[in-house]
Amino acid sequence: MSERQKYPKMLIWLVATLIVLAAFAAFVVHQANLSRSNISVWGELPDFRFTAAHNGEPFGLEQMKGKLAVVNFIFTRCKRASPIMTTNFAELYKLYKNSDKILLVSITVDPEHDSLPVLREYARANGVTDDRWVFLWAPTEEVVRLCEQGFMLPADNLPLGHTTKFTLVDGDGMIRSYHEGLDRDGMILLKNNIRQLAGAL
Amino acid sequence: MKVFRRFAIFTTAATYFLIFLGGLVRVSGAGLGCPDWPKCFGRWFPPISYRHLPPEYDPNLFNITLAWIEFSYRLVGLLVGFLIAVLAVWAIARYRHTPKILLPSIIAALLVAFQGWQGGQVVLSDLAPFLVSVHLIIAFIIASLMVYIAQQAYYLEYRDTEKEAVYPGWIRNATRLLWLLVIGQVIFGTRMREALSLKIEQFPLASGAEIIAQIGFIKYLHPLLGTAIVILTLIISYSILKKSRTPSPLAWQTAWTLVGLALLQIVFGIVMSFFGLPDVIQTLHLWIAGLTSGMVLIALAAVTRQKER
Repeated sequence: MSERQKYPKMLIWLVATLIVLAAFAAFVVHQANLSRSNISVWGELPDFRFTAAHNGEPFGLEQMKGKLAVVNFIFTRCKRASPIMTTNFAELYKLYKNSDKILLVSITVDPEHDSLPVLREYARANGVTDDRWVFLWAPTEEVVRLCEQGFMLPADNLPLGHTTKFTLVDGDGMIRSYHEGLDRDGMILLKNNIRQLAGAL
Repeated sequence: MKVFRRFAIFTTAATYFLIFLGGLVRVSGAGLGCPDWPKCFGRWFPPISYRHLPPEYDPNLFNITLAWIEFSYRLVGLLVGFLIAVLAVWAIARYRHTPKILLPSIIAALLVAFQGWQGGQVVLSDLAPFLVSVHLIIAFIIASLMVYIAQQAYYLEYRDTEKEAVYPGWIRNATRLLWLLVIGQVIFGTRMREALSLKIEQFPLASGAEIIAQIGFIKYLHPLLGTAIVILTLIISYSILKKSRTPSPLAWQTAWTLVGLALLQIVFGIVMSFFGLPDVIQTLHLWIAGLTSGMVLIALAAVTRQKER
């Protein structure tokens, strides 16, 4: 080993390794992106016209177009599922505070009690300060129709029997995915899908 | 001795490969490919189809590609942990009177066990950016320990290495400074990644360049310090290659490698800031940072060796 090596073989080996690893990394990243890109289309959301609590004006599919919307069904008197779902929505509301392309929609399943002022107070209590998170009101039979025929989710025995799923609707009004609104796994996947679909807006 | 040295070098290479895979898991977004830990979807081997998922898991969460990327990474991690454990047992059995090999071997074995558990916490925290950084820093410490062990094993075998070498006197302190700067730079790099990943969550619609524009002063600090490191690396390497009398082959090789890595790192840094953080370049950038810290350590041990004897 006393004789000095004439060429930097350590560097050459490392660069060769680097090239192999770069090719390998490109392959793995490509496969991972492919595996995520196919978020299926479950159906098209039909047109609807509810009332937005924050301004009392009509709010429907037209207002959702061009934005990624996450929709849930809640009621303010609920003691079990709704508070958790609202906490998760509040987390999303905070997370996406810089993106006006992401819309949160909470539809009340208890229109008898949840009047527009009640919904406004509920929104305020949950830190809502702008229209990135809207609360919608409609008569029970319209809510049931939209939930069952539009979102294809169960709506028996309202208000208690409301669904706990979050529905992700893309900018064209297509239903892209359903997520369990009560657990961590559902939220992880929802955020992933939002990031994937946001690229297409 | 020869077998131990070779095993130490192999384990070091395996550790660096694992660090590369870790970076790859992150950029491919497979960190939560298995949402639980240590099992994957409640099983020791990831399911091959969503039909095999235990009922408590949301089938939407299952992505076979991501699950297997994450699972393979854990498997290689287990293997590297096993190699380091063997190295420590070997050191205790044969080199208990050589503290320069014994101590780092034991510390590395303890750290790698901790690292396995800490990796689980990273998954369970939904990849909290700070915990990701801790995971990376521990990995770099383990890799540095492995480099040190391999180098000391080499010196045990070739006792006369550096005997004839005469380096400029100031180079020891300069290399110490370089090592500190590299450590600082790695920490800044992880802070930068933390800031970026928080912003990417908040701005799902923004491009890489827009995201970089959003983060604070660190986006200037990291490249500035990087430039300083490259200049210092070039000076030290030039002195080892041209201004020293009979530098050892190890020091000579290390100096050339450091020059190459420094230039590559600058190129990758520029590519990342102008082309929106390409995934593959991010992985390589991180990996070369790990290699650089190991190489600086070799250079440091080489230029200080003579004085110690």
